[in-house]
Order: sequence, then structure tokens, then C-alpha cells
Amino acid sequence: MPATDKSVPPDALQEFSDLQRRISGSLSALQAAAGATFGCSEKDAVYHEDKLTLYRYRPLAASANLPPILIVYALVNRPYMMDLQPDRSLIRRLLEQGLDVYLIDWGYPDGADRYTDLNDYINGYIDRCLGVVLREHQLKSTTLLGVCQGGSFSLCYTALHPGRVRNLITMVTPVDFHTPDNLLAKWVRGLDIDALVSANGIVSGDLLNAAYVSLMPFRLLQQKYVNLLELGDDQAAMENFVRMEKWIFDSPDQAGEAFRQFARWFFQENRLMSGTLEIGGRRVDLKQITQPVLNIYGKQDHLVPPDASIPLGQLVGSSDYRALPLSVGHIGMYVSSRAQRELPQAIAEWLRR
Amino acid sequence: MAADQMPGPNEWAAAMQKTQDDVMRQWTEMANAWSKAASGVLQVPAAPPPMPPGGGAEVAQKFMAQFEQYLGVSRSLWDLLGRTATVQEPEQRTRVFTEGLQALQQQFAGLWGATAFGAPLSGAALPFAQGGFGFPGMMPGASPGFGAMFGGGNPFGFAAPGATSAAPWLSMPALGPAREQQEAWQKLTQISGRVAQAQMKLSSQWNEIIALALRELGSKITPQLSSGAPPGSVKEVYELWVNSAESAYARIAHGAAFIQAQSELTNALSQLRIAQRELLEDFSRQFDLPTRAELNSIHQQLRELKAALHKSGGG
Repeated sequence: MPATDKSVPPDALQEFSDLQRRISGSLSALQAAAGATFGCSEKDAVYHEDKLTLYRYRPLAASANLPPILIVYALVNRPYMMDLQPDRSLIRRLLEQGLDVYLIDWGYPDGADRYTDLNDYINGYIDRCLGVVLREHQLKSTTLLGVCQGGSFSLCYTALHPGRVRNLITMVTPVDFHTPDNLLAKWVRGLDIDALVSANGIVSGDLLNAAYVSLMPFRLLQQKYVNLLELGDDQAAMENFVRMEKWIFDSPDQAGEAFRQFARWFFQENRLMSGTLEIGGRRVDLKQITQPVLNIYGKQDHLVPPDASIPLGQLVGSSDYRALPLSVGHIGMYVSSRAQRELPQAIAEWLRR
Repeated sequence: MAADQMPGPNEWAAAMQKTQDDVMRQWTEMANAWSKAASGVLQVPAAPPPMPPGGGAEVAQKFMAQFEQYLGVSRSLWDLLGRTATVQEPEQRTRVFTEGLQALQQQFAGLWGATAFGAPLSGAALPFAQGGFGFPGMMPGASPGFGAMFGGGNPFGFAAPGATSAAPWLSMPALGPAREQQEAWQKLTQISGRVAQAQMKLSSQWNEIIALALRELGSKITPQLSSGAPPGSVKEVYELWVNSAESAYARIAHGAAFIQAQSELTNALSQLRIAQRELLEDFSRQFDLPTRAELNSIHQQLRELKAALHKSGGG
């Protein structure tokens, strides 16, 4: 690096000196944050199948006498994001509203799951988990809350089994995968999915993570860690960061066939939008969804842009459809103070209406 | 940023060095502490234990890597601003700054895949190729590495895989008792060539991103220089750089050329991995070792059994 004798202002040296101090504080706080725990609300496993576990959360308030909610989370991340810590837990806030909450934890697929396909997930696992909930409460139908990819699954399930879903809530759920601002979808469209799955068998979660952070590489691979300095020795903030980091990179591998079908049918061919999707040999007709639908999306979501969620209202057959946009991003939907404040109450009120 | 107040490069370098040394010392102490704790519990040697993903240790490691890059980027940009500030005449000052940015373009682009800017560049370049491709320690697009795997020898006695694509044996029809193996090696080498070409194509896209990012940065800073109010801190310059880089990246990454280049590379890497596995399976069969194909067959049978069980109401 060529430099003249007069190249650096004294302020810069001072800044680096300050930086050094902050790094020292940050590293100590990071070290202390290594033991940060994840998941906070008490729950009981009520059903197991293969890698899957169905949990029921213990109540935190008097029952609101509403049908239980079954949360269908995405396959691509772990569901503890819904219950990360006491002050950042959508599940906890729902429990405080007197709601009865169940959640499907898909577990970590491995090489033995390479042939598990979307039919297994949607008409198999989800159906059997819902069956457990309905039997326990002696109901014929209840509320399904699908999150992200789990929202797309919930749409398929509801369209195929409308009699078993009383209310459908979709959260940060993509429906139209070909919107102009969906960078991830543009990238996936050019891929040879057969070769990718054939080469990998099950598709690595690390690979998916690399794709996600590549959507904003300078921010997500570098600036984020530089900004960590601003936290200094704030232990609580550092623990929050470590929890978030753990969740972001704790991505399960994907069952090969399910990945192949999801990437091709949803991302490349946009079949949910065009009405040409078939699961288990049956057409997924979203017009069959006539029950009340609440569609929640983030206005600043870069993973599932608003335009990918908004068309749902035009596609379902329900006359009781409500869109609920929040001024948050994809992750903010789970953990931001705004979402914590507004979302659970909105869900409870919508269910009570 | 008056020129006569500025310390020389030795002071700058000393401050940088001290900061890096101090951070490395703390990091080493921390790693040693972990190592000590782990050896007490697990009775393992004093090497640092593997870090759980997302734990404090891994975050600290990422933090350190990114901090080094932050220093590198910030220093380059700040140094340029410092040199610009020594020029009194406004037009000349703008010229020095613009030329400096052009020089940085070469420097930043030249660092493709290198340590200093490795994460934002190489990490982002191959989103679908990370983690899932290649053998451990093998860079995507590198020579398939079978020679190294088999102790440097070639198990089949043919020309080394990874030989240049112009090698005559590549275009020869495979003959004789080992024709199947030769054909497999030929295929592998041809795919390696495709990977290398695709990598170059994507690299050129990244060069464009860096060039555009620096132009955007220049358009933000030049008016500030002209008005006599340049950025006041290293962090401020860095933030401007990140904003410019993301903006440039967004524009190019949405474009057909980038998408095509990335797809070609990812698809070539998939083919490379498939070809590698075919060779490996053939080798395994020669030693009567289990193969992925055998396991897949068993998984298929289990799946069919399970489906039949569910259908009969037994599952």
C-alpha cells in the first residue's frame, strides 16, 4: 500500500485505539455468551414419528376456549426461533393469550430420508400430527399456522383436506415464486435440480445457508460481525446475538426428493400460483380453501418479499380473507419487539372474531 | 483532515499492527482456555476443540475474520482519503481520488478468493456450491483430488486426473479391459475444465460488482470532498463502502449474466461431484466395500415397505 508521509489523520489513530478497547470488551462478552440457551417455554412431546416430534406447550394463562393451534414450521430452519427466549417468543405470547399451542419439530433428516417427498410431509406427517391434535381435543377441525415454507405446506394441506382445518394462518409464506424482487427464486430457476439432488442425496443445510447469506453478502458475511463491536460488553445483547447466530446456521439438511420437488415445482415452475401443483397425485386447488384465512407478511422481508405473499388473497376460495402486513423483516417477524407486541394479540383477536 | 496534522504511515502501520496483535493475543488466550477446559473433561490433547456451530466460539472466530477484512478495506479507503486530503487544488484532488479508486478496483478485484476479502467474495460467489460439494479441504473447481486421496498415486494407472484439457488422452476413445475406468477419468477431467471456465465467468461478474461498487462509493464521497467535508471516521467510510457494495451487488446479481454464470458453475460442480462419486463407487466395488448405490437401494425398499404398512393401517 503506497502512502505519503502525511496520510493518516490523528482521529483515525484514536478511532483504532478505541476499536481495540471495544474488541477486547466484545470478545470477553462473546466468550461469556457461549453458554446462551435456546428455547424457553415448557413443552411435552406428544407424538413421534421417524425424525419428527410433535410438541404441546404447557399453558401460561387461563384457556381462551379457542381451538388449538398447530404450528407447521419450515424444513429449512429449526423451529425454536418461535420460542427463542422469554422476551422473544411468539409462542410464549400466544400462550399468554390463553391459546393451546402445538408445534411440529421436523428434526434433522439424514441420508435415510433421501426419498422422503412432499407427499410424505404434507399428506403423511402433517396429516398424522393434526390427527393427534384432533383426537386429543375431540375435534373435527382446528387452526393451522404455517410458517414460511411450512405456510406453503399448510396451504397445500388445507386445499387437500379442507374438512380438517377450521382456520388457516399463514406467516411469511411465499405463494408467487416468480416476483421480480425475489433474488433467491431467480437463482434457483437456473439450477439443474436433478443434478444437485443426485450429487448430494440429501441437500446440505450449509449449502442453503450459503445461498441465504449470499443475498446480501457484504452485510451478512462481514458488516454484521463488525457491528458486533457496537455491543461492547453488553452481555444480554451479546447473548441475543449468539442465539440468533446459532439459529441462522443451525439448518437441517433437506430430504432430497422433497427438496427436488419443492425447488422445481414451487421455485422453478411456480405451480402453486398457476394452479398446476399436484401432491400425492391430487391437484392442489387453492380455491378449495374456503375457511377463514389470515395472511401475515413482513413489509421488509427480503427472503419472502411481500409481493410473494400478497397474491394469496386472490387465489383462495375463502370469502373471509385478511392480510396482515407488519413493518418487519423475515426474522423480525419472529423476534422483533413490534411483532412480539402486535402479532399474538392480532392472532387471538382474529380467532375470537 | 488538515494535511499538516497527519501522522506518517509508520504510526498508522504501528497502530494497525498493535490492534491486530492485541486481538490475536486475546483470541489465542481464549482458544487455549477452551482447549484446557476440554482436555480436562474429554481427556483429549491440548488442541483447540471443535467449535459447536453458532456457539460463542464460532461467532468469535467469524468476528475475528471479518474484523481483519474490515481493517483491510477500511485502511485502503481511508488511506486514499488521506492522500486526497493533502492535495490543495480541488480539481486535482478529485482526480487523485478517482485514480485512487481505480487502483483500488484492481486491488479489490485481485483479491478474489484471497484471505483479505475472502468471505464477501468467494463466500458469496458459490452459494450453491458451499458445504455440499467436493471433498473436505477441496476448493470448488480445483482438481478432483483423487491423486491426493490415494496417496498421490493413480489407482488405475492412467494419466493424472486434473491434467490439462488439451491432453491428447482426453480425446482418445477408451479401449481395452480398463476402458470403463478410462472413460470415467476422461469425463471427470472434462467436467473439471467446465468448472474452471464457469468459475472464470463468475469471477468476471464479481470484478464488475467491485468496479460498480467503487464507482458508487466515489459518487458519494466526491461531492463531500469538493465541499470540504469528507467522511469523519474510518467507520463512516466503511459504512459507505458496504452500502455501495450491496447496491452494486443487488444490481448485478439480479442480472441475467450473473444468474447464468452462477448456474453454470453450480451445475458443473454438481456434475463434477457425480463423476467423482462414480469413480469412488467403482473403486469401492473392487474392494467389496459398501457403496452409496447399495444403501440407496435399501432405503428405497424400506420406503416401499413403510408405505405399504401405512396403507394397511399398521403405521
